[in-house]
Amino acid sequence: MSNKWKIILVFLFLIASIILPLLYTRVITLTEGLPEKIFTYRFHRAIYTVLAGVVLAASGCILQATLRNPLVDHYVLGTGSGALFAVYTTLLLLEHVTLWVISLAAAIGGLSALAITVLIAESISGGDVAYVLSGIGVTSLFSGLSVLLLYYVASKYGYASLMLTGTFIHSRPENLPYILLAVILVLVGYVLLAKRLNVIMLGDDHAAQLGVNPNLTRLSASIIAGVSASIIVSQFGVIGFLGLVTPHIARFILKTSDNRLVVPLAMALGSTLLFTTDTLSRSIMTRIIGEVPAGAVISAIGAPFFLILLIRRFRGVIS
Amino acid sequence: MISARNVTVIYRRNNIVALRDVNIEVPSEIVTCILGPNASGKTTLLKTIAQLLNYSGVVEINGRDAKSIIRELRRILSYSSTIEKQDLLGVTVLDVLVYSRYPVSRGFFTSEDDIKRVYEIAEKLGLEGLLSRRLSELSAGELQRVVLAAALVKDPRILLLDEPDSHLDVYSKIWLSNFLREISSRVTIILSTHDPIFASITCDYFIVLSRGEVVFTGPREELLKNTGILESVYNVSFTSISLGELHILLPLNQNIHRDKLVKLGEQSHRDTSYNSSNTRGDH
Repeated sequence: MSNKWKIILVFLFLIASIILPLLYTRVITLTEGLPEKIFTYRFHRAIYTVLAGVVLAASGCILQATLRNPLVDHYVLGTGSGALFAVYTTLLLLEHVTLWVISLAAAIGGLSALAITVLIAESISGGDVAYVLSGIGVTSLFSGLSVLLLYYVASKYGYASLMLTGTFIHSRPENLPYILLAVILVLVGYVLLAKRLNVIMLGDDHAAQLGVNPNLTRLSASIIAGVSASIIVSQFGVIGFLGLVTPHIARFILKTSDNRLVVPLAMALGSTLLFTTDTLSRSIMTRIIGEVPAGAVISAIGAPFFLILLIRRFRGVIS
Repeated sequence: MISARNVTVIYRRNNIVALRDVNIEVPSEIVTCILGPNASGKTTLLKTIAQLLNYSGVVEINGRDAKSIIRELRRILSYSSTIEKQDLLGVTVLDVLVYSRYPVSRGFFTSEDDIKRVYEIAEKLGLEGLLSRRLSELSAGELQRVVLAAALVKDPRILLLDEPDSHLDVYSKIWLSNFLREISSRVTIILSTHDPIFASITCDYFIVLSRGEVVFTGPREELLKNTGILESVYNVSFTSISLGELHILLPLNQNIHRDKLVKLGEQSHRDTSYNSSNTRGDH
């Protein structure tokens, strides 16, 4: 298939992956004759799952490319738990918190955790597995602290415990500006960085002689990926592995590592996967065991995928 | 013409002086070789010319300070050493070549021009069959050719190659030597190598480094006459032999004195005649 057709199809899929879930939600609420209030709730929930999928997938692509590491996303690197810890701390310390304050705190917490993971990984060996190990340490630290804080936070904010695994149950119209901000961030990141990240994947010296500043690119990519993912965490909690899995599926389908195509396809896959998971957990699973957070379902699918990647990574080294 | 004046490079991390007061002038459109043992500053000199390191002193490209034309330099100069090969990110040979057109490629997506040029270079270097392969699936020799193709795909006027002959078998080395000589009429090439034979059959001009200092610059003929320079730098005996138009630098085992080389040749000649007479005797 020519490159032009690949581009057209990828972007058509991306647009469809955003519009179709919204149409589906409208049609379902109309056919079921549900009141407008429920439609508004479901419609917002659909928008958020779709856009959160877009943001987390893009963030995963950007982090993998900029760190030249196929085993990472915002969750593995500890950004998610760092952001959540910051959210809990803010909820605990401040009497009246706005969503802006929570988002800002999450961004600071997420970026700090990312910085700690990177510093530790680089001081070990800088290898891809060093990032995973360092990320596990940082994630455990902040997850542990978050659970400790949860005892106090849960009494103040009912949905706090659900945020540990990421959920869209408490979708409200007020979340929209923050989600849109995250989407704008990753879109700007995509346009400015996709071509540069391609070059970065080939090595720092190679990138520098082509006129791409590796350190500046890595810094801006990490900030964009870290902040956008943290904003999602601040609104809906930690959704792990989505950003890890979708770039790999996109690369596998496209047979290329080109971020100009991989990022939009991963975004489309992320939104489809998250919307489907959330809809299933809302509609089917509710009837069996009650509503399961979408983040838990995604983790259950994503974690085995991560383990397969890890095995392939080490087989590659041995053979 | 590429020149360096009073160039000094100090690695801040360990305070090592990698280049000390280097003054060189490299003629255009020929192949120049940087020779020197490990840690003599070959890679540092190439990176300095490519403006990839901080240095004191002046590097001039065609009479202009390289620092002042950095944007233009990224289009016309290629520095190539290695390419990272992270298997699971799925980088293919085609990807490497497309991405390496970064400074000359217009627009956000890959253009028809980019693709056309990539396929031309791939064909020239015999990589057409490998374009869809991942980097991790290539042999070391194939990867070396991809690295060279990546350096050429933006059509540079200056090509800096850090050990382009490493990992290559004999056939590929000869091919590379011929290829570089062929394109050197259009491109100024500076390369570093550890192989004096490859250097002497490929390069017209030489820079010899020892512990960060330049100990020789000059055309090949001059170096071939003064092999003592290499002997003092490498602590190995060298000789130069001529085979028709080819002039070859040959490192020698310490124990073999240069005078013995002729005798060895005679010896082998005698051995052959002895064997052949012996064979005849058997009949």
